[in-house]
Amino acid sequence: MTGAASGVGPDRLLARFPQGILGIDPFPGTAGRLRFDPAIALELFREVRDTLGYTHLAMVAGIDWVQTREVLYAVWSDAGRRYLLLSAQLPADHPHIESATAVWPSANWHEREAWELVDISFDHHPDLRNLLLPTGYQFHPLLRSFKLHEPEELEVKVRDV
Amino acid sequence: MWINMGPQHPMTHGLWNLRVRIDGELILDVDPEMGYLHRGIEKISEDRHYNEIITLMDRTCYVAGMAWETLFVLGAEQALHVTPPERAEWIRVLSEEIQRLGSHIMWYAAFVQDLGLMSPFLYGMRDRDLLLDLLQSYTGARMTYEYNRVGGVRNDLPSGFTDRARKVCDWLEDRFREYDALCLGSAIFHKRCDGLGVLKAADCVRLGVTGPMLRSAGVKRDLRKDRPYSAYDRVDFDVAVAEGGDVTGRYLVRMEEMRQSVRIVRQALDWLDRNPGPCLAENLPRWLGAPYAPVGREGYLLRRNYPKGLGFSAIEEPHGEALAYVVNEGVEHPYRVKLKSPIFVNLSAAKEYLVGYRVADIPPIMGSVDICVGEVDR
Amino acid sequence: MTGLTLYGVANGLIQYLLTHLYGVLPHPYFAFLVNGAVVTGLSVLVFAAILLGASMINTIMLIWFERKLLGRFMDRRGAMHVGYAGLLQNFADGLKLFRKHTYKPHDADALGFYVAPTAYLVSSLLIFAILPASTGWGAGALPLSLLLALVVFSFAPLFIFLSAWSQANKYSLIGGMRSAAQMIAYEVPILLAVVAVVIVSGSFDLTTIVTMQQNYWYWIPLLLALVVFVTGMLAEMERIPFDLPEAEAELVEGWNTEYGGMLFAFFMLSDYLRALIGSFLVVLLFFGGWTMPGWVPGPLTSFPLEGLFWFLVKTYAVFGVFVWIRASLPRVRTDQLLRIGWMRMVPLALLSIVLAVGLVLIRCLPLLGCLPSLGG
Repeated sequence: MTGAASGVGPDRLLARFPQGILGIDPFPGTAGRLRFDPAIALELFREVRDTLGYTHLAMVAGIDWVQTREVLYAVWSDAGRRYLLLSAQLPADHPHIESATAVWPSANWHEREAWELVDISFDHHPDLRNLLLPTGYQFHPLLRSFKLHEPEELEVKVRDV
Repeated sequence: MWINMGPQHPMTHGLWNLRVRIDGELILDVDPEMGYLHRGIEKISEDRHYNEIITLMDRTCYVAGMAWETLFVLGAEQALHVTPPERAEWIRVLSEEIQRLGSHIMWYAAFVQDLGLMSPFLYGMRDRDLLLDLLQSYTGARMTYEYNRVGGVRNDLPSGFTDRARKVCDWLEDRFREYDALCLGSAIFHKRCDGLGVLKAADCVRLGVTGPMLRSAGVKRDLRKDRPYSAYDRVDFDVAVAEGGDVTGRYLVRMEEMRQSVRIVRQALDWLDRNPGPCLAENLPRWLGAPYAPVGREGYLLRRNYPKGLGFSAIEEPHGEALAYVVNEGVEHPYRVKLKSPIFVNLSAAKEYLVGYRVADIPPIMGSVDICVGEVDR
Repeated sequence: MTGLTLYGVANGLIQYLLTHLYGVLPHPYFAFLVNGAVVTGLSVLVFAAILLGASMINTIMLIWFERKLLGRFMDRRGAMHVGYAGLLQNFADGLKLFRKHTYKPHDADALGFYVAPTAYLVSSLLIFAILPASTGWGAGALPLSLLLALVVFSFAPLFIFLSAWSQANKYSLIGGMRSAAQMIAYEVPILLAVVAVVIVSGSFDLTTIVTMQQNYWYWIPLLLALVVFVTGMLAEMERIPFDLPEAEAELVEGWNTEYGGMLFAFFMLSDYLRALIGSFLVVLLFFGGWTMPGWVPGPLTSFPLEGLFWFLVKTYAVFGVFVWIRASLPRVRTDQLLRIGWMRMVPLALLSIVLAVGLVLIRCLPLLGCLPSLGG
């Protein structure tokens, strides 16, 4: 999907980051899902914004895969009129990645939310404190280890008459 | 002096706290505190069947429940590899536009109330009731509809609905003139709102602000046009934009959007009149297809091997760009549902459009942002 | 002029009671009672009680009137359930407020917190003794009654600020400061507009001012002064579009945020008392008070208490205009309000004084007729 319009075609970055980009999966309805090494995060964000023209960061999502944590960025390009998903796998013991606020200031609250809910720390974030949860809350509700309750037991117990 | 505007304060229109540092009447700094309405919808969703999550989506934003249902269902359909029939897509367009009208009229009512205008508040509530009546007549509920399904919508429109809806459209178009006369016709309105809460286009893009706030700054981005979903590529409408990025601009954009929504509703009604058909996809897996399937050993609580998938959907919600990311790991519960609320981001930019104005400007500015705390906190 | 005055009624009532008490009470008490000073004192008390009752009932009816009218403007019905068409709704509301527990915030200053609403209410009520609602109604011939009324009217910022300060609430404080700034700013144009009326009528006595309007009401030549006066009164009454001291969208309830129950009722009642006084003043100064023009057919102006009747009709009509404004205008901002006050209203008021002086010099206007001579 290397579009003619400026700012589309994430594979253009493959040459720039031969090691850092782990792959680009097709993702229907978007320009693709780009998997990258968290080490190149900030440089990649800069390139995505400046070279590809994805000026709008729409979403930062954290996903707990138990062994790893995934952090997913959705960025939008006005020129190409499409989204691009950027995804990085972080180690579960100390999940951290460079904050995107330096490139997209709109990442601010998204990263605060991901930090408190999925326990992903964002280095060099200007204001990393609780947003939705009370200050000093000890838990990270969106981790798989945070159990709401066990699924309901629906087995009917038949009594002996 | 720091003052807490909230969590119980008439300005907030919900449950949140805007901490404001003021010097006399001048605003020096602001700090929104969210989370009072955090219900953990994303977390609860990990524990629910797809069609049960729709119930939660209604509660995400209580004035635009239908839009959030559509958002989630679109994401879930992609994750579950389901395609809805065309009629369902049109009904979704119709529902979403009725919902957008309802949401914008609700915004209008609350916004003029913040300005101190009393009568239009009641006019707005009166007219919104007609839209709720319409929604009620085919979903059975006025706020929490639970109408969309993965693979379509729950039921078809009742007979005579399209005529009733057209009458409401006529009535509303008349009323919009009245709304404008009460606001734009008033010198005090212009004195209060012109050049207030300005957020320029560059700042909007930088801070991720979307929706009417972005379009009021002159950026013509509307996902219905730029990245059409459902049947939006088949309807004819214009994207409302304004210049200036101030409160008046946001007012103009929303009023124009309401007019365009009426236009879309009419087109959808015409199409639906001409093209009867099924509104729920056939041959859905049983645990998806039957909305009221019996729960039990044979019901949907049994894990099964379903093809995995990822879903990503983006819609133009009444407040702006809303995204959903749905991870399907092959069981009847989504592994993760991530929702992105437009107001969440619009609020995070509060410092940019509040500092430098006066305390009395906070209600109109925050009113023009159109806050729905339910979807910010989720 | 009819012989019937309110004070006369009160005095007569006392005399009547005394004649019936003759022989019932032991002589020393009776001798004390028939003492002239005591009779006068008792009559004044009865007079005050009648006045108080009348003004209270009128105020509560005014609230009903506003609610019904506002309801119509908003495409709804207003109060409907208590009494015929909701007539008794406000009495019920008042009773409810009086039954409520009054509590004081922990940090509030008790003296200011309790004294301010009472003083505010009393100062508002005091004006009713000064304003003549028709001939014979009011405390009698005060040569400076207009001035006195305005002086008492302008006590309000003091009490409002006192209450705002003593509540220990930031919103109250902001509201109180706004209120004080606004009321002081708008007193200037009000007084200047009144000066125009005084120049034309040549008197500070409200009764004289009304009598002087026998040929034409003053709003016709002094339209500018009327506009300034009404605008100023809207600000003094703190009604939309000038209700920023209690702008509920940003300041919760403004300077009475912390009040509940009876004390809140005091403030609410005073606000409407002041609205009533404002309408009274507009009618007295610009719409001929209790008189009707000569072309009105006789039967309409010759029945018992016709002066009072027409006065109230005019008052409610003026208040209706205030309600209409409230139903259709948004609220302005503090700085804009003050700018309107000082930059627009004061020059306009000065201009109206110039016009008034011109009117006095010309004396006669085409179509309208001449000013009565000052002696008349």
